[in-house]
Amino acid sequence: MEVVPISIAAIAALLSVVATYLAVRSRDMLAAVVFSAVQSTAYALIYYVLMAPDIVLVYIPVSVGILPAVAVLLIKKTERYES
Amino acid sequence: MNLREAVIAVSIALMIALLAYTIGAGGLGPIAPSRLRDLAVSYLINTYNPWNITKSALSLEAVTAIVWDYRGLDTFFETSVLFVSIVGVALVFRGYREKLGLGGKGLSEIVKTSTKVLTPLILIAGISIAIHGHLTPGGGFQGGSFIAVLLVLMSVVFSLDFVIGSGLTSSKLLMLRSIGLVGVLSTSVALVVLGIVLGTHAYIFQNIAREGSPLSMPTWLLDRPTGGTLLFFNLFEALAVAAGLSLAFLVLSLRESEVEEALGESEWYE
Repeated sequence: MEVVPISIAAIAALLSVVATYLAVRSRDMLAAVVFSAVQSTAYALIYYVLMAPDIVLVYIPVSVGILPAVAVLLIKKTERYES
Repeated sequence: MNLREAVIAVSIALMIALLAYTIGAGGLGPIAPSRLRDLAVSYLINTYNPWNITKSALSLEAVTAIVWDYRGLDTFFETSVLFVSIVGVALVFRGYREKLGLGGKGLSEIVKTSTKVLTPLILIAGISIAIHGHLTPGGGFQGGSFIAVLLVLMSVVFSLDFVIGSGLTSSKLLMLRSIGLVGVLSTSVALVVLGIVLGTHAYIFQNIAREGSPLSMPTWLLDRPTGGTLLFFNLFEALAVAAGLSLAFLVLSLRESEVEEALGESEWYE
């Protein structure tokens, strides 16, 4: 593989690790949903670099559009802050 | 975030980076063989092969050919997991009726105007991904989930009242989902029925003529290849997925006063 795509994948992977850590540690559930969406965006970039465009097309709407929407609905019906 | 958390985050990232470098340099053994496996070669040769159509799917995209032709039955049961879970959601919230006029004005006029421009673009992109599933990357599930984002976006920007008032109620979405599912089912048995009528053999999920069964779906529409059943599968799957995911979102976004009637009914069972 060439250097440029694999370094894009490496940077996206690092970003996803940081976003995952912040999502797990966050006490504010709404912020955790946003961090989780950031992590999904980084994963979508990795899938694209690894030549899986079919997965990218289903991963973006589900993980950035529908899943955060359902999670936000769930937070609205329960509690926003983890005690 | 204090210093300790930052140090933990950086050290986890460093560990992942070093592990990735080790794997990439071949430290834990070879990653992938440099030559194609025989299975991959046979799929690449046969996916679009008009000279030997008894092994071909006549689709220009190998992934869709494998998903809906060579492994069609697998995909059917895979998607039925989603549909069964949506039936479960609809069953748990049965008796629930949407009500208009429960407040909610949506976001500002600027956001509404830009969303009005964006809405048809998302719809067209979703339909295009779905019906070009046998030509370019994408397919029914991908296009359907693109279209499902539309209802989420509309309910956030224009408020739920607008969505329900414009006619997208959960009973209509359930009907659309059922039409999509019936379409998928009837596409999968279309050639079997035709075979019974004409007195020849045909298989379930058959697309192109195979050994011992000469029937095949129409593969050309004007000057474009349609991939036989693949176009129909992608179209109906997109309809079913879009309506199903929208239905799940609409039902989960219920307001308290909307379920009061349903709760009153369910006391009878207790």
